[in-house]
Amino acid sequence: MARSTRRALLLVAIAAVQFAVFETALRVWGHSEAAPSFQALFIPDPRTGYRLRPNARTRFVTSEFDAHIAINAQGVRDDRDIGPKPPTERRIVVLGDSLVLSVQVNQQQTFCSLLEARLNRAGGPYTYRVINAGVQGYGPVQELLFFREIARAFEPDLVVETIFVGNDAEEAVTSAPRLRPEERSTTDVVSESLVTRLRRLVRRSMVLQVLRLRAVAVTDRLPTWKAPPEPPLQSYAANPAPRIADGLRISRDCVSAIADDASRAGARTMVMLMPARFQVNDEDYGNLRAAVEQSGGRLVRDAATERFDRALADVPVPRLDVLPVLREGQRRADVFFEHTVHLTPLGHEIVAESMERFLREKGLIDGL
Amino acid sequence: MVFNSLHFVWFFLVVYALYRAAPLLLSPDRAHRAQNWLLLASSYYFYAAWDVRFLGLLVASTLVDFTCGLVLGRIDDQRRRRVVMALSIGFNLTLLGFFKYFNFFADNLHVLFGAIGWQLDFVTLRVLLPVGISFYTFVTMSYVIDVYRREIAPTRNLLDFAVFVAYFPHLVAGPILRATKLLPQIATRRHVTPAQMREGLWLIAWGFFQKIFVADNLAPLASRIFAPGAHETGINVLLGTYAFAFQIYGDFAGYSNIARGTSKLMGIELIENFRFPYLVLTPQEFWRHWHISLSTWLRDYLYIPLGGNRHGAWKTHRNLLITMLLGGLWHGAAWTFVLWGLYQGLLLIAYRPVASAFAALPERRDSYGGTLRFAAWLLMFHLTCFGWLIFRAPSLAQLGTLTASLFAHFAPSTIDVSGLLAPLLLYTVPLLVIHALEARADDVLVVPRLPVAVRYIVYVATMYLIFLFGNFGGSEFIYFQF
Repeated sequence: MARSTRRALLLVAIAAVQFAVFETALRVWGHSEAAPSFQALFIPDPRTGYRLRPNARTRFVTSEFDAHIAINAQGVRDDRDIGPKPPTERRIVVLGDSLVLSVQVNQQQTFCSLLEARLNRAGGPYTYRVINAGVQGYGPVQELLFFREIARAFEPDLVVETIFVGNDAEEAVTSAPRLRPEERSTTDVVSESLVTRLRRLVRRSMVLQVLRLRAVAVTDRLPTWKAPPEPPLQSYAANPAPRIADGLRISRDCVSAIADDASRAGARTMVMLMPARFQVNDEDYGNLRAAVEQSGGRLVRDAATERFDRALADVPVPRLDVLPVLREGQRRADVFFEHTVHLTPLGHEIVAESMERFLREKGLIDGL
Repeated sequence: MVFNSLHFVWFFLVVYALYRAAPLLLSPDRAHRAQNWLLLASSYYFYAAWDVRFLGLLVASTLVDFTCGLVLGRIDDQRRRRVVMALSIGFNLTLLGFFKYFNFFADNLHVLFGAIGWQLDFVTLRVLLPVGISFYTFVTMSYVIDVYRREIAPTRNLLDFAVFVAYFPHLVAGPILRATKLLPQIATRRHVTPAQMREGLWLIAWGFFQKIFVADNLAPLASRIFAPGAHETGINVLLGTYAFAFQIYGDFAGYSNIARGTSKLMGIELIENFRFPYLVLTPQEFWRHWHISLSTWLRDYLYIPLGGNRHGAWKTHRNLLITMLLGGLWHGAAWTFVLWGLYQGLLLIAYRPVASAFAALPERRDSYGGTLRFAAWLLMFHLTCFGWLIFRAPSLAQLGTLTASLFAHFAPSTIDVSGLLAPLLLYTVPLLVIHALEARADDVLVVPRLPVAVRYIVYVATMYLIFLFGNFGGSEFIYFQF
């Protein structure tokens, strides 16, 4: 065997052994969303792409928090299963993404559990159950599909569709083809299947996940020959890309569809608009504004909230915007974590309090 | 343009491809000339990427000192030669003084007059600091002084001289090169050897490791302790100071290694700037191992001309103090840097009476030798760290608070294991392992010379550590501000 071949084989062998060493070390000590224990929370789903794995259990630890996560047999974050609804129970299903799922806090600290406790504390003829139907990474399209496939069976009396204004317009555009599976070409399905398989392979390894993130960070900064790179945070851009308008329209259609489906099942619907961290945190806003300006764009702090507010104006469902209360709460202490753009326990308390007040003011509780 | 940016990666790939293509396409003499033009153009582009306005200063400094060198080469009269040298030094120090120290002196004058009741309402210019000015003015000054001393002949080739001053690997943060070492390499044809390629690539990888893995990951730890208004217990101040000690080492040595590595790939050797400085036993050794190009510059062009140690103890102490005070001020226009220079000067003075006892330590082979060496190392490391505390403190008031925490409120039980100790160990232990290998072999390039299997283990581990745990925020190198 030639000397260069022997050396190449030696190098590959050393790289493989060290890969195993780093993989083991990261699995034991590297708590993050890339950890297989966290990734094991998800299973593939033919309609939504993926969803929470029924009966999964894990612990999510970082330098900022330490939370236990339990998924029930129905595939939502709850340590109790959801059976047939007793006559004296009223159910509120909260749809949304990671800001609803809230893996950063224990279940009792999520705004869903806090709202449930608040409603039941008041007493009355009914007991209330607030079901956390949030799934990491979902947008309005997947939330609609999840409602139809899974959450409608929970017999809700009220459906809360939580819109994360920061990226839901973009998410809606990306996942819109899921609404029309029959129109998807074989090539799309095969290529998505290959990409999914590759992603699954990468997700099994923490080393590969980190390396993928590094590669994405580099490719994102590469100039393209076709057009200058787009400034980030298009949902907040003074002059957003045309797809943002498409995303807002798709989101509105999804909310309408959820409201129609809910109505047919005898439930009412409301929308909650959830802001991004920089909308309440001035320092974060300053940094992002500078970053966007550096990329040649202009950031309008509340543009995404206002755009969703306008887009949903003709959908006949009550809307709660929690931006003002979170902004007020930020004066006391952080309502979002420092290293992740998710709510702190204080943020959850503020949202739960605001939701309870809104439900009572709008008569959404009395009418259930 | 910083070394740890995508911009630099593209820049270097293009420059290097053209540089290596030249000998393949042109005759040897033309290729050499084309390479020098390429180095000059790319160096000016590299510098202009920060702020094109300051390119004029670099060009002016080049032209003035090139002319002074030529004039010095043509005249023999010692008095006139001294005038020419003084003109060159005056020009460079005026540049440095105005751009680097004008704000500092204006602000302090304002405070001083205010203290005696004079409210001067003068307009203070806010002068921007051109990046790298402390480095290239020292480079050009050393050239003129060397020509004046007849240690080198003046170059008559403006292109060679301009490349010597602006050569991009060392332009903004050193090493501070001497004409005797660099000019001959620029003036003659270069050939890149396989050993230079291997060593250059390793130095670049190791430099990125020191910057991205060590320095940038330790920066938040140090920033927490040194944040204005922060109140930490002594044990955590100590850990934060250790973090800064390794941050500044990783940052600066990392830059120097990337500079040396990129230069080696082009067949040009730059001098070694760091030699495991945290393993030394004495203050004198420290300055022979830390920022070697600056300390030798200060020795040759300031300390020795002041008289060095040739005129008795008091004058030696005076010369040490002046040299280290000015060395401190070179790092920046702030009282904490002046105090750091004073501290280093006092350490060197305090060391002199016990120098002979310490000098014998490495040779001691009795049962106490190892213990004494360890004690000396421990003492020296902590004296160095206290220097970094002075250096990094945002103000004199904060320095007082940090020192009080360190000595009066140590509270070991309050140690922050997960926030300070664990990351400090994670980001310094791999560095110290290589450090120990280098020190044992007394060779900072020991890794590329290890047996092939060991070498590959180190290479692969370095790459994994950079890509898995490196901080890719692209922050600037600390020494750019100096």
